[in-house]
Amino acid sequence: MKILALIKISLDVAEIKVDPATAQLRLEGVPEKVGNIDKNTIEAAVRLKEAAGGTLTAVCLGPASAKDSFKDVLAMGADDVTLIEDPFGGKGEPGAVVRILEAAVRKLGPFDLLMAGFASDDGYTYQVAPRLAERLGLPLVSYARQLSLEGGKLKADRDLDDAIQTVQVDLPAVVSVAEEAFPPRRTTLMDAIKAKKKPVNLWTAADPLGLSAEELAKNSRLASSSQIGIVVHRKGQVFKGQSAAVLADKLVDALVEDKILKGGA
Amino acid sequence: MSANQILVFSEKASLLRELLGKARQEADALGWQVAAVVFEGDPAAASLGSAGADLVYPVPPAAGESPERLLNALAEVARQAQPAFILMGATKVGMEAAASLAERLDAAYAPWTVRFQIDPTTCAATAQCMLFASSGMATYQFTPGLVVLTSAPGVFPKPAEVEKTARVVSLPLAQPQGRLEVLGSREKVRGATSLEDARFVVDVGQGVKQREDLALVESVASLLGGQLGCSRPVSSDRDWFPEWLGLSGKKVKPDLCLCVGVSGAVQHLVGIRDSQRIAAVNNDEGAPIFNQADYGVVADLYEFLPAFSERIRARGLRPTWTA
Ligand SMILES: Cc1cc2nc3c(=O)[nH]c(=O)nc-3n(C[C@H](O)[C@H](O)[C@H](O)COP(=O)(O)OP(=O)(O)OC[C@H]3O[C@@H](n4cnc5c(N)ncnc54)[C@H](O)[C@@H]3O)c2cc1C
Ligand SMILES: Nc1ncnc2c1ncn2[C@@H]1O[C@H](COP(=O)(O)O)[C@@H](O)[C@H]1O
Repeated sequence: MKILALIKISLDVAEIKVDPATAQLRLEGVPEKVGNIDKNTIEAAVRLKEAAGGTLTAVCLGPASAKDSFKDVLAMGADDVTLIEDPFGGKGEPGAVVRILEAAVRKLGPFDLLMAGFASDDGYTYQVAPRLAERLGLPLVSYARQLSLEGGKLKADRDLDDAIQTVQVDLPAVVSVAEEAFPPRRTTLMDAIKAKKKPVNLWTAADPLGLSAEELAKNSRLASSSQIGIVVHRKGQVFKGQSAAVLADKLVDALVEDKILKGGA
Repeated sequence: MSANQILVFSEKASLLRELLGKARQEADALGWQVAAVVFEGDPAAASLGSAGADLVYPVPPAAGESPERLLNALAEVARQAQPAFILMGATKVGMEAAASLAERLDAAYAPWTVRFQIDPTTCAATAQCMLFASSGMATYQFTPGLVVLTSAPGVFPKPAEVEKTARVVSLPLAQPQGRLEVLGSREKVRGATSLEDARFVVDVGQGVKQREDLALVESVASLLGGQLGCSRPVSSDRDWFPEWLGLSGKKVKPDLCLCVGVSGAVQHLVGIRDSQRIAAVNNDEGAPIFNQADYGVVADLYEFLPAFSERIRARGLRPTWTA
């Protein structure tokens, strides 16, 4: 059994600040790490590897500086990581990202399972798994919550908005994991020591994938794009440093003023 | 057939009407047609005219059975109808279908759209979309050509009903096939009440320590005729409630949202930021929720909530939403 798992180095969006005057997003200095969802992706993949035997390669398109970010992923049970240096520095269009990932998994293949998160922590666009499945001509089992291998087939519970649907499919297939479905395991010191010996292979889009950023950009359908932050307009009044009863009265006063509470003497 | 058509799909009836309403507005400005994809035998199909559809294309009910069959059916409709623009509902089913459909049709794609316009002369589309888990907004200007967008429930208002009947056009469609075998399906447990319509929501975070403590929170909710919501860990880790508020959960828009023991992570705020007023109780003065609230109370919720109820009772107050 050969499993490939896609993991993204994601921004911690809770740390993205917005300049209230200009509505500019401040992205510099926002911490980046393997996303929570992709720790779940790795956990799901390791469990399948443990059940069926085989290998697990994690694949990441990200900055070359991320080379040291995979200790946990390797300690959890991935055998190696292929890090493809992102020629777009994180600003590539999803269409181009998907083409690079496609080329990488074809190069690493043939595989039995390609796994991904249903949506990345920062992009949260739900698109990489479906688009890759389409480009690879493989079936997609999306939003997977339970996974098992039975008689050469993959069985999964799909976590939909209103229902849980159980499906089965022949391999090879693409799987996207649902949020919080596979809480990552705790790793031991032994795991960490073993992880140190596991390779992180650094590729570029050009070598060995033979892709150039210029060629990829030619597929772009964007004439232009720009971004701003969302500025919240709230009163921001803070009550503190007094007894609970006094603080309660202050909040009640404010709610009366707002005509949310009424009546009384 | 028609290069000046907006094709609309959502498996969720209310969302489909919202999308049709928006598509109708754009189509009117351009002199275009609006078409909806529905499942054959859907009793609501004929009435989609009242939401703005000119045409409906029925697809075999088997298309609703698996994502692959849905994709194959939608792609076949798009191939025959040749729409210039496709708008789909941002549900889990819709997000998957839209991304794969865009890839298959070699179309431009953007999810989480909150606004879009189509230029009447160039027919090029511009879209504003939520970015970075809704902390930002991107504006994309596309080159002319097919564009697929998705929009979430509640982004576009429910359209006023118009006097209009949609023409049902049966395209020659094969039974959609797929490689996924569906073994079964079970409905999810739902929250008992419709949080989306609540005027008052008490939002429970991990600062509420034990399940028994919910009685305290509930007493505040019931005093003011409100309902309980919670953050994701309170639902997914502790399993106190079947659903949570936020990016990946429910979105509420009450008159007042009272956050108790909620830190204020952006992914959670997305679920409550349409509230008219937000009040928050947290014992950590540095909690990010205080930057996002109208009224912040730095206090231990276990001391504050009883005092809050007591003051409301003592002052004989009631909320405006109770008669
Ligand atoms: C991709 C992604 C999607 C996500 N989607 C969602 C989502 O949809 N919804 C969601 O909620 N989260 C979501 N999250 C998780 C989110 O980032 C936060 O981790 C989560 O919302 C935190 O929940 P919390 O505020 O209840 O808990 P915590 O962050 O643990 O905060 C608890 C708060 O309680 C306060 N507190 C403790 N004791 C007391 C006391 N006695 N009195 C008063 N205050 C007290 C503390 O000071 C603290 O601020 C998502 C995360 C990711 C990465
Ligand atoms: N740059 C990347 N490198 C590796 N995997 C990625 C990358 N971007 C997205 N993915 C995968 O696709 C999933 C969904 O991301 P998205 O569609 O961007 O929300 C992530 O959870 C990853 O598994």
